[in-house]
Amino acid sequence: MGLRLARRESPVRGGQVLAFAVGLLAALVVGAALLAMSGHAPIEVYRSMFDAALGSPRGWSATLTRAVPLGLAGLAVAIAGSMGLWNIGAEGQIIAGAIGGAWVARLAPDLAGPALIPLMLLAAVAGGAALALGPAIARARLGVNEIITTLMLNEVAIRIVRYLVNGPWKDPDGNNFPVAPVLPEQSGLPTLFERSNIGVVIAAVVVIGVGWYAARSTWGYELRIAGSSERAAEYVGISLKAKLFSVLVVSGAIAGLAGGIELTGSSTRLVEGVANGYGFAGIIVAALALMRPSGVAAVAIAFGAVQIGGESIQTQGVPSAISNLLQALILFGALAAAVWVNYRVVRTGRSVEGGAGSAAAAGAGA
Amino acid sequence: MSTETVLGLLVSVIEFATLLYLAALGETIAEKSGVLNLGVEGMMAFGGMAAFWAGVETGNPWLALVVGAGSAMAFSMIHGVVAVVLGADQVVSGLALTILGLGLAAFLGESLIVEAPRARFDTLDLGPLADIPWIGETLFSMSAVSWLALFAGVVTWFVFTRTHAGLKLRAVGENAAAADAVGTSVTRVRLMAVGIGGAFAGASGAYLTLALAPGWTEGTTAGRGWIAVALVIFGAWQPGRVLLGSVLFGGLIALEPRLQTFGVEISPILVSMLPYLLTILAMVLLSIRSRNRPSAAPAAIGRPFRREER
Repeated sequence: MGLRLARRESPVRGGQVLAFAVGLLAALVVGAALLAMSGHAPIEVYRSMFDAALGSPRGWSATLTRAVPLGLAGLAVAIAGSMGLWNIGAEGQIIAGAIGGAWVARLAPDLAGPALIPLMLLAAVAGGAALALGPAIARARLGVNEIITTLMLNEVAIRIVRYLVNGPWKDPDGNNFPVAPVLPEQSGLPTLFERSNIGVVIAAVVVIGVGWYAARSTWGYELRIAGSSERAAEYVGISLKAKLFSVLVVSGAIAGLAGGIELTGSSTRLVEGVANGYGFAGIIVAALALMRPSGVAAVAIAFGAVQIGGESIQTQGVPSAISNLLQALILFGALAAAVWVNYRVVRTGRSVEGGAGSAAAAGAGA
Repeated sequence: MSTETVLGLLVSVIEFATLLYLAALGETIAEKSGVLNLGVEGMMAFGGMAAFWAGVETGNPWLALVVGAGSAMAFSMIHGVVAVVLGADQVVSGLALTILGLGLAAFLGESLIVEAPRARFDTLDLGPLADIPWIGETLFSMSAVSWLALFAGVVTWFVFTRTHAGLKLRAVGENAAAADAVGTSVTRVRLMAVGIGGAFAGASGAYLTLALAPGWTEGTTAGRGWIAVALVIFGAWQPGRVLLGSVLFGGLIALEPRLQTFGVEISPILVSMLPYLLTILAMVLLSIRSRNRPSAAPAAIGRPFRREER
């Protein structure tokens, strides 16, 4: 007698939302245990996290601002994911985008804001796309696994920005800190409300626009065909190489934009930590959203709230690592719960299963 | 350039190679079974934090090493359950394991930052061998952990190529359905491979916090876990080649702080990019060379196995 997972004929409706809720709940429970173990009152901590992130217009503005890089990184991962590709390099592409933006500000510091900001954002898009270019060519032309190449370039990008802010771009008036000079004042994105800037609007437009285009255009349609079956794609005359190349470059460009908005919106200068783990978190965001742009926006806001809440409780002596912990736990909880969306547990007896030992060896036995 | 400078460099190369080889060997074992685990960086941090804690508590480095390896092994079972048993995506699960491991280590290790290291490894006493010029002062004075790593590499090579267990492991990693058909439990083999991989990553983290850079701080793993992931590919999933790669990349890391002493005017930060760039280069060259030949990667890597969907 054993347990076995059998695929459902159709996934449970609204199952992913439920899976996310289960993941969130599981994360909160485990997080509470960890907090209690280290001598903090979990309910109190959670309450002040919630208040800081979602309890006031000011909190909401911080949460939405944080949702911008998370959402754009998530979209970048999701768009590649819709073709079955993994862009693990969003973290590096965010950095490349920020470097691109900062470079424009160095070259033309006296340009008026309405000209400078769009140029910086364009350079950011180009920077992110440029970092994705190598993996895109290698994947399309030679079939080199994009997971590893994009992953490796994260570490390269981190070192490029470290080199710049410690060397050629180091601020001479920065008290020897590894930072680039303060950006020109007019390069800051205009404020929307409280602490959020129009980056929120830009990100929303991009997420909706790209989501719409991917859902409605021939390009997006062909992406999904290529994602579900390479053979089918080639049969109907879709150029797989062109698709692989374009989707990875577009993915990098979107992540680069996140870096540009971080630079012009939330930061006053280029620093080493500009990407702050948003690229990695974006992978979790995209996975939880099942690679759908609409879901990406919702999960990004939820993660933004967790991060802002986690940062706010540092003053109470709770390590801010709690927010990263919670995000990973949400994912694991949801991944486990999502199995239930597509599978149901059935009991198996050896007599039904047949061959000796086969039930015990069932691949997905619980 | 004095003899001492060169000797110092060689000792440092061995130390970093040990760190990298332990983690990369573990990842090689996991990937051979068809499971990509991108959680190496997180397992290293978690194991390193646990080992340092045990070292402070007991003062015994070997016990601390076992605690580090054991706790990282237990921690790796999250990936085992989610990615192997439940069949969720290995890339996502592994990355989340890294985020969780770094987060847990930072959270639980908060109070360890102020602690002074107590447990240190001794070098093996090899008697007259240690008196041989050059080799005696480097290879024959290296930490017992380095010998252990080398020994583990030989054992792994032997198991992979000469034993029935190794054949099973490779079969599961190449063609899970076929292995299943001949009665091998794919899930059990993969869980064991992931667990061993976790233990090795934990041992690597323990070596870091007990010997290489004694102490615990958030971020002490500094991306070394990603180099380990790179090394598996760079070494084409072969324990011997992975060792050569570990010495090469360990050498690059050891060179970084010494470049100026050697009169090289390149920023050490730029040199620190080399392991990652070399890995990409190796991947590109390999794919050009082996266009019409099967790739060295385990064929089933990244693919969850579910019996009814084979």
